[in-house]
Amino acid sequence: MYYVARVDEEKCATYKCKQCTLFCPEANTLMFDEERNTAYVNEPRCKGCALCVYVCSDLLKRDCIEMVMVTAEE
Amino acid sequence: MGLRYVQPAPGFKEYLPKDYVDLIDFGPFGKEVDVQHLGDFKEILEEHPMCAGCWMAYFVRVFYASLPNPEDTIVLGTAGCARLALSQAAVPFIYGNYGDTNAVASGLTRALKIRFPDKTKDVVVVAGDGGLMDIGFSMTMHSWFRKEKFTTIMVDNEVYGNTGGQESGMSPKGVQLKMAPKGKKFEKIPATELAKQAGCVYVVKLSPTSVKRTAKVIRRAILAARHFGPTFIHAYTSCNIEYSIPTEEVLKDAREREKKDFGFEEYMTDEVREFFEEIEKKKEVKK
Repeated sequence: MYYVARVDEEKCATYKCKQCTLFCPEANTLMFDEERNTAYVNEPRCKGCALCVYVCSDLLKRDCIEMVMVTAEE
Repeated sequence: MGLRYVQPAPGFKEYLPKDYVDLIDFGPFGKEVDVQHLGDFKEILEEHPMCAGCWMAYFVRVFYASLPNPEDTIVLGTAGCARLALSQAAVPFIYGNYGDTNAVASGLTRALKIRFPDKTKDVVVVAGDGGLMDIGFSMTMHSWFRKEKFTTIMVDNEVYGNTGGQESGMSPKGVQLKMAPKGKKFEKIPATELAKQAGCVYVVKLSPTSVKRTAKVIRRAILAARHFGPTFIHAYTSCNIEYSIPTEEVLKDAREREKKDFGFEEYMTDEVREFFEEIEKKKEVKK
């Protein structure tokens, strides 16, 4: 069981902000796909701090990222 | 290290680990990367065992993305949290004994000048409040008195986070910690004031809440150290474990501390100011 961030890519693609990627404490984890214009999470590297959720929901009021439980099989 | 040593020989690339190949193809070596594009390129920092939501880990991430010349940089650290991440990057890292980082960096800077007289090699010390202002205080101060040309960055988490929460000289007055239950009786050491008095040519105090500003300061400190003398950055990097800050609120805490006692302060000598004005006008600063 793991607690990781997951980006609602459809919703994220409607904005051009790229702010969450600037505040993740982990390198090469919260990345940005220029072609699809959305942030995405490299889940095996995510430590589940939810700082990106604070940036996206509390600061920017965009609610594109949520924390989810995943298992190793997922 | 040098760019020549980073690039693999032709035909050998296919046998290298994917992370290394990605670093060559999509990393910052030999090209200019804008720190505002974090998340678009492969960073030189890799996975590390620092705590979830650690603001110091965040600062280390921004630090590595801001290096003006990563292929020719050597980073020094000491015992403390930061070295857990500092050592997991594609930049040579030297682990000093506790407190001697600035002494080691002094010798290293001089040796590099002799060994590579025609090349620019950057030496950067990144250590905590314990390593630089408590246990390493004398060696830090003496490197500044001697005007050694390298950058010192203090990642100040205001506690001995690795060893259970003892107070450090940089803990704020009155704060109660797990191993300091009576509360600290003295003020924080005025590190930036000491740096100015000791002869640092560029001194900054900041809470890293803006990636652009943080990167600019790191680049400036490294560039000024190449030509003029010692430079010092005092960065607030909270310990969310010892100060019981919920991980999702470390940025909020950093912003609050910025308003309270970690407001942005930048000091530079006149010659350094002229130098920056000149190169930033010409846009010669390698991002």
